[in-house]
Amino acid sequence: MKVELRNVTKAFPSRNKKSGEEVIAVNDCSFTIPDGKLIGLLGPSGCGKSTTLYMICGLQKPTKGQIFFGEDDVTGLAPENRGVGLVFQNYALYPHLTVKQNILFPLQNLKGADKLSKEEMLKRAYETAKLVQIDELMDRKPSELSGGQQQRVAIARALVKMPRVLLLDEPLSNLDARLRLQTREEIRRIQRETKITTVFVTHDQDEAMSISDFIVVMKAGVVQQIGKPQAVYDDPDNLFVAKFLGTPPINVFNGSVKGGKVYIGEEAVLSVNGVNDGEVYVGIRPEGFILDENGPLGCKLINVEVMGRDVSVVSSNPASLNPTIRSIINADAGVDHDAETVRFSVKPHKLFLFDKESEKRIRFEVK
Amino acid sequence: MAKETIKTMHERDISAERTRSRAVGIIAKAFCYAFLIFMALVVLFPFYWMINSSLKSLEEYRQSVPTFWPQKVLWSNYAEAFTAASLGRLFFNTAYVGIVSTILSLVITILSAFAFARLEFKGKNLLFSALLATMMIPGELFTITNYSTVTNLGWMNTYTVLIVPFLVSVFYIYLLRQNFLQIPNELYLAAKVDGTSDFKYLCKVMIPLSLPTLISITILKMMGAWNSYIWPRLVANDDAHRLITNGLRNAFTDTTGDVNYPVQMAAVALVSAPLFLVFIFLRKYIMKGVSRSGIKG
Amino acid sequence: MVEGKQKWKAWLYLAPAIVLLLVFTVWPIINTVRMAFLEGYSGLKVAGGESFAFGVGNFVKVIKYQKFLSCLKNTVLLCVLTVPISSLLALLVAVFLNSIKWLQKPLQTIFFLPYVTNSIAIGMVFAAMFNIVGSFYGTDNEIIVTAGIINNIIEFFGGKAVNWINYGSSYAANITVMVIYIVWNALPFKILILLGGLQSINKQYYDAAKVDGTSRRRIFARITVPLLSPMLAYVVITGFIGGFKEYTSIIGIFGEAMGPADAAGRLNTMVGFIYDALSTNNQGRASAAALILFGIILVVTLINLQVSKKRVHY
Repeated sequence: MKVELRNVTKAFPSRNKKSGEEVIAVNDCSFTIPDGKLIGLLGPSGCGKSTTLYMICGLQKPTKGQIFFGEDDVTGLAPENRGVGLVFQNYALYPHLTVKQNILFPLQNLKGADKLSKEEMLKRAYETAKLVQIDELMDRKPSELSGGQQQRVAIARALVKMPRVLLLDEPLSNLDARLRLQTREEIRRIQRETKITTVFVTHDQDEAMSISDFIVVMKAGVVQQIGKPQAVYDDPDNLFVAKFLGTPPINVFNGSVKGGKVYIGEEAVLSVNGVNDGEVYVGIRPEGFILDENGPLGCKLINVEVMGRDVSVVSSNPASLNPTIRSIINADAGVDHDAETVRFSVKPHKLFLFDKESEKRIRFEVK
Repeated sequence: MAKETIKTMHERDISAERTRSRAVGIIAKAFCYAFLIFMALVVLFPFYWMINSSLKSLEEYRQSVPTFWPQKVLWSNYAEAFTAASLGRLFFNTAYVGIVSTILSLVITILSAFAFARLEFKGKNLLFSALLATMMIPGELFTITNYSTVTNLGWMNTYTVLIVPFLVSVFYIYLLRQNFLQIPNELYLAAKVDGTSDFKYLCKVMIPLSLPTLISITILKMMGAWNSYIWPRLVANDDAHRLITNGLRNAFTDTTGDVNYPVQMAAVALVSAPLFLVFIFLRKYIMKGVSRSGIKG
Repeated sequence: MVEGKQKWKAWLYLAPAIVLLLVFTVWPIINTVRMAFLEGYSGLKVAGGESFAFGVGNFVKVIKYQKFLSCLKNTVLLCVLTVPISSLLALLVAVFLNSIKWLQKPLQTIFFLPYVTNSIAIGMVFAAMFNIVGSFYGTDNEIIVTAGIINNIIEFFGGKAVNWINYGSSYAANITVMVIYIVWNALPFKILILLGGLQSINKQYYDAAKVDGTSRRRIFARITVPLLSPMLAYVVITGFIGGFKEYTSIIGIFGEAMGPADAAGRLNTMVGFIYDALSTNNQGRASAAALILFGIILVVTLINLQVSKKRVHY
């Protein structure tokens, strides 16, 4: 099922009733989710990603704009008529029902053509439980389960009726780090097996990048960029997206372009074509640095962190926006841990320029 | 799950679903409001009838076709009720007993709750559990002996007998102790370090912080005095000390047959009015207090 | 640092409460048990210097006493009728009230109103509403008999007027009036508690049910009621405890005669029985009856708790 949002806006009445101002949670948001894909809605907290999810689900109504499932306009439709499954951040498992009863619950609601016999329901419930590997826990109450198990039950409950669209709201935020890694792979596997169009909301870029077919990056209710995770990482549209994706994060410098050269401080790091002279932000990914005795960029060495295959060189430069610059260098490059300064040259495709005013990407050709 | 069994939910006739769910929603809402408004009318009707009747003349009240608003509003019923039931004296007695017993009760409750919440002494938990256990016993069981006790003490037909026996409420102590316990211990220790005495700490910190609970207790206690019937009837049923509920019941012994209802209803309205006024102004505290107590009066 | 002095200080803070509790709570418990087991104990006879044999005579007498059985029957009947009706109505009102936004606050206030009333005063209003205006005896100066407002309403809808509480009224009619009044009086507290319970249920459960297309009926039966069950149990248990102590509401409607003019005492309850025994100086009998009442309340509460343990989820 293809899901399409067209110019969707959601405004909430202000808490302060007298001022009468509205809070815009989602602003003119348009994107299409291709059939059978897993997409990650990504952004810092309060960026409107959960609101977007709830609007796709039908629990919240857009103030403006339309939502389509396939060719059908479902904008004002109640959630039960959309055929969606939703996994809540806190799972919202019915505390008084066993795991089995929780999973059966949505099936017992099905009507008309979807209606199932008792045996079919049980069969479906067990199949789904097996899929998420909780078939041993069917007679327990939610309070007797660990966080990860509850999470699987929640997914099973959303999945059991074979929804046309599966929605997950920060499904991993309540799990510890190890379980989180494991569970996100589970989600990917389950999605691959069922081929259900899946939307999942997260503030963790790692999570989104690692399992999504597409990511939608949002900020303050506005969609910043949509694309395949690698493509967005390699080709960010603006400074926010560049900063939000990637660990360690991108290093940003105050810089300028003069006569086809990109300067950081006094040092020309790259020659480019097609950029007007002026002040810019220069972003360089950590892996974009090459250790080079004769390199143009000189930084004061602070520390070298050994990570095995690679080393992380921590240094500082007066032009950097952050106090430290982090670069990932192959361990074989032989970093001198005791050196005062360290010099880099830069991989051109790992360097991005951004307009100082709009923070938009300035694209260039490498000379 | 095997691939071939995967079958997502059926496509729906979206527009039909939309109209259907909208229609069901409207019908449900309408039914919901109809039921609530009907119940609200049932709840309000006695109050309306009380006021309506209290303003009618006896002749109008006796008409076989009832009037839903008095043809001639007769305020004199209220004056008549006031003197017939000597409500002035009753109001005074009740207010006096209510105020004195509330103040004393608050003092005792605060002191005990403080001891249970903040001070350490041997047998504290045992004593507190024993107190809580007495809450299970119906009050009637105490009344029998208390009746003899107050007779022997010579307290019959005095204000004392209406005030003293019910000064201590285990429930209020419990309520306030819980509230005191929520005040962080660090505040107490800090005060101790500064050399503040226990009593000063109680007055300056704990009482102000527990004001909502204390207000709830005050209101419930006052309502208790206003509504008490059984005990006052047993021990202080003379003209000088009679409380409002008894007075009302005594002044109008007949409830059926040929009774001057307009005057009676005027008296009932006068007795009900103070509680309503308190309710209007302090609704929040009353409802909060009641939801935690479940004890009427 | 603060320990040494505290021991006696704590007792000082507690002193007023403890003294009063010893005299008016602890002693009565002991004394009531004592009087209950002294055969034929009475304040008057104590004054006359009589002594009493130890035994269960008071209990036997109370149980065999015709009046007591009638009081017990009235109490149980009122309990069994009013608790389910008022709990169910309160549940419906609370659920509907919780589902609306417009008018919610004013309606909530209206439903709480009966709580802040004097049950005797409003009982008199109910009596007036159910009363048949005018003399009913057939004496010389008879006034034209007109039906009261309730009968007017019944007749308006084509029913027949009923003698609810007057001379010659039937027991069933009397009980009906009592049930209506007691339910009216019991609603506010129950609605308040249940509405509070409903509002504390996590809204996500309802969102989850909505996404799954659960029907309203099923949401009510499978989610609301189970999640509200602790509150429901509380309301039912306190309802039974209060119901067994029913007394003033009957005084409100029927006055101290506790029944219509031709059948005084017909609607008397357990508590009424205890006070009657007390005011005729039969302390032994009153004590025995009070202990029986305590026993019944205890048993009913335990049964309730047992049932709710199976029914109350989590």
